[in-house]
Amino acid sequence: MVVVATNITYFLANAFLDPRTLFVGRRPPLTEQQVDTLLQANNLNSHESIFLRWWTWAKDIVLHWDWGNSPTGDPVNGEIAFRIGVSAELLLGAFVLYTIIGISLGIYSASRQYKVSDRIVQATSIITLNIPVVVMSLAIVLAAIGFNQKVGIRMFYVTGSSSADAHGFGKIVDLLQHLTLPTISLVIISYAGTQMLQRSLLLDTISADYVRMARAKGLTKAQAIRKHALRTSLIPVATQVAFSIPGLFTGAVLTETIFNWQGMGQYFIDTLNKMNINGVVAVAAFGALMTAIGAVLADIAVVVLDPRVRVH
Amino acid sequence: MSVNDVRDQLAASALERGDSTGAAAMSRRKRLSRRELYTRRFLRNRPAVAGLIIFVMIVLFSIFGGLPAKHSYLETDFLNLSAAPSADHWFGTNNAGNDLYAETVHGLQRSLIIALIVSTGTTVISAVVGAAAAYFGGSFERVVLGVIHFLMVVPTFLILALFSNRSGGSWIVIAVIMLLVNWFWPARVVWTLSLSIRERDYVSASRYMGVSGLRIVVRHIIPNIGSLLIIQFTLGVVGAVLSETGLSFIGFGVKPPDVSLGALIGSGADTVSSAPWLFYFPAAALTLLTVSMALVSDGLRDAFDPTSAAGGRA
Amino acid sequence: MTVTKIVGLPQSGHSDALLAVRDLRVSFPSEAGRVDAVAGVSFDLQPGRTLGIVGESGSGKSVTSLAIMGLLDDAASVHGSIRLGGRELLGLDDRAMSRIRGKDISMVFQDPLSTLTPVFTIGDQLVEALTIHGTMGRRQAAERAVELLRLVGIPRPESRLKSFPHEFSGGMRQRVVIAIAIANNPQVIIADEPTTALDVTIQAQILQVLKRAQEETGAAVIMITHDMGVVASVADDVVVMYAGRPVEHASVYDVFAKPRMPYTIGLLAAIPRADRRDAQPLVPIQGNPPILINLPDQCQFADRCPIAIDACRDDVPQLEAVLNASNDDDDGGGHDRDSEHQVACVRAAEIEDGGTIKGRPIFPVPEIAASDLAQVPRGERKPVLAVDNLVKEFPLLKGAVLKRRIGTVYAVSGISFDIREGETMAIVGESGCGKTTTLLEIMELAPQHGSDIQIDGHSVTGLNKREIRTVRRDLQIVFQDPMGSLNPRSTVFDLIAEPMRAFRYSSDKVEKRVEELMDLVGLNPEHSDRFPAAFSGGQRQRIGIARALATNPKLIVLDEPVSALDVSIQAGVINLLEELKARLGISFLFVAHDLSVVRHIADRIGVMYLGKFVEYGEVDAVFEDPQHPYTTALLSAIPLPDPVKERTRERILLTGDLPSPTDNSPGCRFVSRCQLHQSLEPDRQARCRDETPALTGVDGVHVNACHWR
Repeated sequence: MVVVATNITYFLANAFLDPRTLFVGRRPPLTEQQVDTLLQANNLNSHESIFLRWWTWAKDIVLHWDWGNSPTGDPVNGEIAFRIGVSAELLLGAFVLYTIIGISLGIYSASRQYKVSDRIVQATSIITLNIPVVVMSLAIVLAAIGFNQKVGIRMFYVTGSSSADAHGFGKIVDLLQHLTLPTISLVIISYAGTQMLQRSLLLDTISADYVRMARAKGLTKAQAIRKHALRTSLIPVATQVAFSIPGLFTGAVLTETIFNWQGMGQYFIDTLNKMNINGVVAVAAFGALMTAIGAVLADIAVVVLDPRVRVH
Repeated sequence: MSVNDVRDQLAASALERGDSTGAAAMSRRKRLSRRELYTRRFLRNRPAVAGLIIFVMIVLFSIFGGLPAKHSYLETDFLNLSAAPSADHWFGTNNAGNDLYAETVHGLQRSLIIALIVSTGTTVISAVVGAAAAYFGGSFERVVLGVIHFLMVVPTFLILALFSNRSGGSWIVIAVIMLLVNWFWPARVVWTLSLSIRERDYVSASRYMGVSGLRIVVRHIIPNIGSLLIIQFTLGVVGAVLSETGLSFIGFGVKPPDVSLGALIGSGADTVSSAPWLFYFPAAALTLLTVSMALVSDGLRDAFDPTSAAGGRA
Repeated sequence: MTVTKIVGLPQSGHSDALLAVRDLRVSFPSEAGRVDAVAGVSFDLQPGRTLGIVGESGSGKSVTSLAIMGLLDDAASVHGSIRLGGRELLGLDDRAMSRIRGKDISMVFQDPLSTLTPVFTIGDQLVEALTIHGTMGRRQAAERAVELLRLVGIPRPESRLKSFPHEFSGGMRQRVVIAIAIANNPQVIIADEPTTALDVTIQAQILQVLKRAQEETGAAVIMITHDMGVVASVADDVVVMYAGRPVEHASVYDVFAKPRMPYTIGLLAAIPRADRRDAQPLVPIQGNPPILINLPDQCQFADRCPIAIDACRDDVPQLEAVLNASNDDDDGGGHDRDSEHQVACVRAAEIEDGGTIKGRPIFPVPEIAASDLAQVPRGERKPVLAVDNLVKEFPLLKGAVLKRRIGTVYAVSGISFDIREGETMAIVGESGCGKTTTLLEIMELAPQHGSDIQIDGHSVTGLNKREIRTVRRDLQIVFQDPMGSLNPRSTVFDLIAEPMRAFRYSSDKVEKRVEELMDLVGLNPEHSDRFPAAFSGGQRQRIGIARALATNPKLIVLDEPVSALDVSIQAGVINLLEELKARLGISFLFVAHDLSVVRHIADRIGVMYLGKFVEYGEVDAVFEDPQHPYTTALLSAIPLPDPVKERTRERILLTGDLPSPTDNSPGCRFVSRCQLHQSLEPDRQARCRDETPALTGVDGVHVNACHWR
């Protein structure tokens, strides 16, 4: 599946992106011949048969794990490796945070169903889930700028992933200063999905017969929910969380753009704008791989949590 | 996009409960017609009603807001570049002198139209494809599921960007492409739900009576996932607005001279500290639109869900 | 009036009641208004005794039990008094109640498939019940858990502790639930429909286990059920509930032998009997139970009661002691024996033993015309359905993504029978025996290789799609669940018209026929524009029957058509089916697990076990002279609604559950559970295991598949 998807993207990208336009308007103007040579070097010459190019591209990946070059000759491999790291810095933290927050708030609101606190949590979730990412992120930026001005020092950086001049311990502080805002923004827009799912699933299981049975044994309502309902309701939530992993990387496109974070999301836009066919394909392949990993993780989570599917 | 999936699942699980237990429970009570009951429950949900009112106002604004406007969204006022809101330019102007009020009205209209087309289209396609796949089964089902699973692996956002980049920002092309890459999530949910409906006795009964397959899909399966489809439609509007905004923001969506809310916010973002009004007004319009619609769909889901005790406190 | 007024039962002053419930009232908020689910229930429970609470769905019996356990929703409001050993339970908070639940009072729920937490092992759940009250350490609890499992009859308890619930059958899970319920030697066990979800054979086992559990713990039991047979079998005292109120309270013998409340009398008359041929039609109770919202202050049964008078509607009748006609000179000392029999009916004193009033039966027996066809000998009637060697096998698959075939499910393995004009054939057996598969396989009209199905004398093998459609006109189906088989979004008109439209009837004709059909099945044709949700269960089943009749079929296949209905409603539907058979000369193929219903309605019966008929023949022959050991066991497992008979008869308890039908090796399939097999000499036993028995006997009248019978 991953392989097929990647190959289809390769052909699509070749059909829709034309690196030739990059060289239009160069001074001094380049001849057709010169452009061909430049592109040829990077296996991007549209005058060559698409199948030949595909063959070269595929061969390089299979034999050398070489995902090709950008039209300007920069290797995609290096760029991707660097950016995956940068994205992971941001996304892993945010992922862990919003999963924990989402699940705990879901449990909290489910156990206080229709009380004021539940309604507040629910309303907040609906709003944050539906505020456009852009609006939310920019609002955070505005707030942070305001805060910085008020305090008089730059507590939070609104752009970039790190400053060049930090060393040692300062580096960690610097990283945190950069990390805070985009993480907050990601957590706010993402936690609500998990929260609402956890709440509704827990509510389903709270009314299950076996929870009543547990209470009939002598457990208090709270104990019965904690021991019997929660575990069962976590199974589908875990699946969902695992499936959300691929969405994380593409979903972060906007966040990374706004906070100028040099990650995969931003790279994706960059490659599209710069007609970097090989780059686009590599991003797509990465996305597809993430989906596959998500699916596998989801299966593992189910096997771990649910004895019914375990094979004997 | 995974967010949409979560929402669809929530809706689906609520409805599944609904169709089995709800009807039975209802019959024992005093007989209210379904529609009456749903309306009553919906109206009792205050946030949802507020959402509905806001949404209607936004729609009216997008249609009639242009009437009192003093400027067209295409016209540029060179005397007022990046001007703050004033009596002449209610929402101010941008650095090219476009009147932001006119632009907001037009952008809202554009975003809404795109969203409605996409959502209507995806709902219809997903209902027919999902229900038919579930009912007919066999190789047809396998093919449909294959396509759906494939589309789930392909980063659709990327395809969307590729196509719309090429289209030069025409909103029609964008809407069509969004339709093409959006239908499969809801189709899968419809499929799952239809699977359980296929097992209902009334479907077998019709089949044993000699009723044709297509007729069963149209008369028995689709009407029984109607409430899911309504919810999915409202969520689809929100989802479409959000993704259109995202696309336009990073420059792959609607392009000048046409404007959408996303494009407006995109350009407003660059000057967020120097001319914040360029960000505030479209952002406010957009947020009101999505949040109100989300409240409406949440209210609908609650109204359709018979286990919801929100209605029980009569 | 020769009745003494006593509010409730003797007050706790001189009573040694373990559990005393007084004027219990429970109501819930709902969309349409306040639902008064329980409206004034009082009873005393004595140590070691069993109190049966019977009633139809919605009578408030389960809500009563949940109120005692303190397990009702927060939204419910509860009033009255529930005292356990003198201590008031109502008003205790969750924490205080949790110390009583499971220790002093415990509960067995209805559906064993959903009452055990799927993600924990049986052992964990049992140990949790033992340790939660702080009376036992984990190690001690583990030992006791094994002991308990052994007590409730679970083989190899040590190793089963580590199993998860899904590895157990329904009957085994219910045993585990009972083990949990008796874990802390409770004083009271509440069993809420503990056997309703189970087969009769398993029901008999579970009732046995409950009885043993009661002996072991000395607990008092509240048995909540809708099944008069179960009550007759286990209860000492009985409370009959209707619309949230107790309407009769007496010893089990009095309730069955001399009921005084018209509702009880009607209920008993509506039950078909498995132990005798009913000479006359069943007696249905007209109408439906009321909706429990804004009920007027009157006898709630008055609207359905044939002997209701104006006084019935003046006030809610209270439970009052009955004085027998023989000793009515003793005018109510309050402590005479008669206070043991209480009834809430203003005309109770006029009602005589045997359910008559002034010598006439309270519920008149309906008349059903006899069929002309009944006069024609069976051999001269045309067969409408002939099934020859019907086989259905499914591949057994394993694995989520890549499915491997690891075996075959032999759901139906070669059954043959025929049904003549105007005849009702029933297939009975435990769930999983293949009876429903047989029906559906016939409906599919696509027999597997080597099988044949003939409808009205014509084989369906080799017919094309078009011809099959034409055959469907003669063959219609009615399903078990009256709600599930009617599309909730279609009007009744559309529902009944659907088969006719599929066969392109003209719209005039459809219009006329729908009206005719609704009339025929006893529905008001003016209601044809309503949706199914506006009808009660019994009415919905009538809609289903009207739809099946629409194309004038020769045969209607019915899958458990009355098992989802309450007894009083069920009788009406059974009578309708009998009437249709007589008037239209239609034939029925009937699948049911309730043998009493089968005895009443069927002409012929096939007893199915693991995909095969083990006994087949005329219904009276099979019921009166059951030959196959399985049939004998099945019949003896049915609880009879007669406490005297029920407690004196010899019962054959089958051991174990129905094995899974994946084994197709030769030999008798019943051998693993057969009581006869165990009593045979070894060489005869070998024959059971190695040689597949064939159906032998008087062909066409009564055959069985046992080597030794």
